[in-house]
Amino acid sequence: MWTAFSATFKRQLVTMRRAYPWSFFIGHILDGVYITIFAFLSYHFIFQGELNERFVSYTGTSDYLSYVIMGGVFNSFTVSLLMIVSRMLITEMREGTLEALLLTPSSRLGYFLGAAVQGLMRSGIEWVTIICIGLFFGLNLVSAHLALLIPILAAFCFAIFAQALVLGSFMLAFRDTYITQNTLFVVMMLVSGVSFPPEFLPQWMQCLSRIMPLYYGLDLMRAVMTKAQLSFAILQNLLLLVALGILYFFIGIIFIKQMEKSVFEKHFG
Amino acid sequence: MNLLNVIWAEMKKSHRHNFNNRLMYFSLFVWPVIQFVDSYYAFKPFNLGQDSPLSRFVPVEKLGLFLITGCLAYIFFWSLVQSAWMMGYEREQGTLEIILLTPAPRTLVMFSRAAANLLEAVWLFSIFAVLTILFMGGLHVAHWWLIPIAVVILMLSAIVWGGFLNTIFLFSRDAGFLYTIFEAPMAFFSGVRMPVMAFPLWAKMIAYAFPLTFVLNILRSIVLDGKNLSAIFQPLLELFLILLCLIIASFILVRYAEKHAKETGNLTLF
Amino acid sequence: MLEAKKLVKYYTMKEKSGWFARKKQQIKAVNGLDLTIKRGEIVGLLGVNGAGKTTTIKMLSTLLAPTSGTLSIDGIDALQQPEAIKRRINMIAGGERMLYWRLSARENLMYFGRLYGLRGSALKNQCDELIKKVGLAESADRPVERYSKGMKQRLQIARGLINDPDYLFLDEPTLGLDAPVARQLRGMVKDLAKKKNKGILLTSHYLEEVEELCDHVYIIEKGHLLLHDTPTRIIQTIVKDRILLVVMDRLTQEDWTWLRQELDNRGIHTQKNETDEGTQLDMTAPFDLTAQFIALTHQRNFHLLRLESKKPNLEDAIIRLAEERELL
Repeated sequence: MWTAFSATFKRQLVTMRRAYPWSFFIGHILDGVYITIFAFLSYHFIFQGELNERFVSYTGTSDYLSYVIMGGVFNSFTVSLLMIVSRMLITEMREGTLEALLLTPSSRLGYFLGAAVQGLMRSGIEWVTIICIGLFFGLNLVSAHLALLIPILAAFCFAIFAQALVLGSFMLAFRDTYITQNTLFVVMMLVSGVSFPPEFLPQWMQCLSRIMPLYYGLDLMRAVMTKAQLSFAILQNLLLLVALGILYFFIGIIFIKQMEKSVFEKHFG
Repeated sequence: MNLLNVIWAEMKKSHRHNFNNRLMYFSLFVWPVIQFVDSYYAFKPFNLGQDSPLSRFVPVEKLGLFLITGCLAYIFFWSLVQSAWMMGYEREQGTLEIILLTPAPRTLVMFSRAAANLLEAVWLFSIFAVLTILFMGGLHVAHWWLIPIAVVILMLSAIVWGGFLNTIFLFSRDAGFLYTIFEAPMAFFSGVRMPVMAFPLWAKMIAYAFPLTFVLNILRSIVLDGKNLSAIFQPLLELFLILLCLIIASFILVRYAEKHAKETGNLTLF
Repeated sequence: MLEAKKLVKYYTMKEKSGWFARKKQQIKAVNGLDLTIKRGEIVGLLGVNGAGKTTTIKMLSTLLAPTSGTLSIDGIDALQQPEAIKRRINMIAGGERMLYWRLSARENLMYFGRLYGLRGSALKNQCDELIKKVGLAESADRPVERYSKGMKQRLQIARGLINDPDYLFLDEPTLGLDAPVARQLRGMVKDLAKKKNKGILLTSHYLEEVEELCDHVYIIEKGHLLLHDTPTRIIQTIVKDRILLVVMDRLTQEDWTWLRQELDNRGIHTQKNETDEGTQLDMTAPFDLTAQFIALTHQRNFHLLRLESKKPNLEDAIIRLAEERELL
């Protein structure tokens, strides 16, 4: 597994340095920035800072801008990481290298992890950039609880990684990236509490929130990065996030295996 | 006659080529509907009571109408971005070269592509929007005959915008980047989800760079504010001037693109 | 008649030499090429990869503007009136590109036909006729993505004929095709020139194809014209050696010494091999040596089992030419 990991990591690193995917990079940053600007304009220029009381009761804060900017930051980060990992195999298929890859006795998990860890470098740069821009538009970071932040980030990345495996297998099944990924992204953005608390949504839509790692991740990140007080809910959400990650992970592994087989059958049958 | 012939050719082609996959309607119907819902809920954290500051720009009870008209006009413009993306495919596939090999007028082909794709792309969401509008009620129209005029204005503007985008995408390899520059800001600044009047000056300046801003202004004046023709004359004139600029720009760009391609053997400019 | 005079094409290549720095480099793809194609004639364009064949074809088809030089077709200046030229020419490239894969053959043809201003029944008839001609009638309404390579290639040909061009440029039209399909295509190309009186320019890697089809051949190297002649004369001028291969009853040492002496005297280079059949001789000389050799065998009553005179072909000529150029 280690060799597959490092080989993929190095390959992706070289690819990134040769041809940095600027359009994805700038696109992801701008997606976050647009959400930020939207929140900024709405808050200051349209509503003059007047909030709905339910917002405060749902979120436990009256800092609307920090709430939404955090939403934009982590939405972009999630989209970026999901895309990097989930598009791996289908890209190999399109470039004609999939057979060569599947013929090797390498560990698929190492392969995906290599791509993910390398992808984190890219997503991380985007993430920091959006946070920095957000600071100008009213993002208030309180002293982050580092001891909590690191395990939360780790759990979050793991859950997103696992979700990307499932997404990737769907891409292989549909032979499509554009429709598959963006359908997930628009739904994810609606139900995960990016620009408004999901509690506003009808009950049945809130069920969808529960299967999005972004929903838990945002809740946790907001708790440790923008709120001063910590609560027991953090631990509960962290456990739920890890459990969801594990669930996605196993589903993803099984689906990818299935898809690889059917790809082989279609190619060599 | 030649015009109709080329439009017809493009229509037949794009019907078979772009719409043969029903998944296409995810991007043309499912996403816009979800985004409409999202834009509606994005206002929920704010004070939407009778004393809402929003009512300075849009009556609170008409927020739904405001958003659905925004989404409807946006989908007209957005659908053509997708068809412009196919330019990249045509370049890779080499069919673009074959089109340049024919004597068909190039700019005409660009605008025909836009026109050919429009109806097929927007009909489904349009039905949804009309039903939503009827369901929500609250339309305020001075003369009913203004509505078809509004639709024609919307379509013509979208076609001009689409033709312009086709031209731009004609010679760029990285369509995603152009999308980020030309399309995403449009969704945020041209008043699809927010009243442009509320913007600070810098945001207004961005807003008025997009024809969609003018189109939305006219559309909402007609269906929400009950303005008559004389009241919208000035924005109509402004829109007309912008569209004219876009058409002229497309002409120049197409000629430049072909000249460049002839010199370098390469359509990609940037 | 298509006449290109002193065609020159320079590309400026920008090469990335750092994060932002670009190195400019000028590449001379075609360098002063003269070329004529008459109606009813098949002209070959040969050269190794990177010789400038594709650039030449693209210039002739007005897709590329020459850096300098003139190009006229039936007296019309192609650089001044590209639109008028486009109606009279078309280009077909090998491979599977340049078609809409999700469209059927008929839809592809209808689309491109309309871009040539065809419409109504004229368009429909033209499409039907071409589909029949290239033998796609049965699959005309299936999407192209389900076609085999050969079918796509035949559709390309139909597409290239949609505007009934006077001049047709074929860039590797048989690339990667099975032998029978390739032969069929060759027949089609021949008919187009000889029966339909079209002027055809052909590039191909398959030299037998060029030898079989072309009335004239231009051989270019690095954008320069090396040779222009009929295939036969090209072979004659370049490959002067003739090879004679003979198998005969096993020679005695004495006979061999005698024969060798006689051959040497006549300037014939010989190589001897003993095989199961008998003695095999490979003889090379700069003239046809068959008659002389047979005369020699009569003198001593040698018994010939097999005699094969190998005629050099265009491929030998091109290989020889390439070797000579390398020595320079």
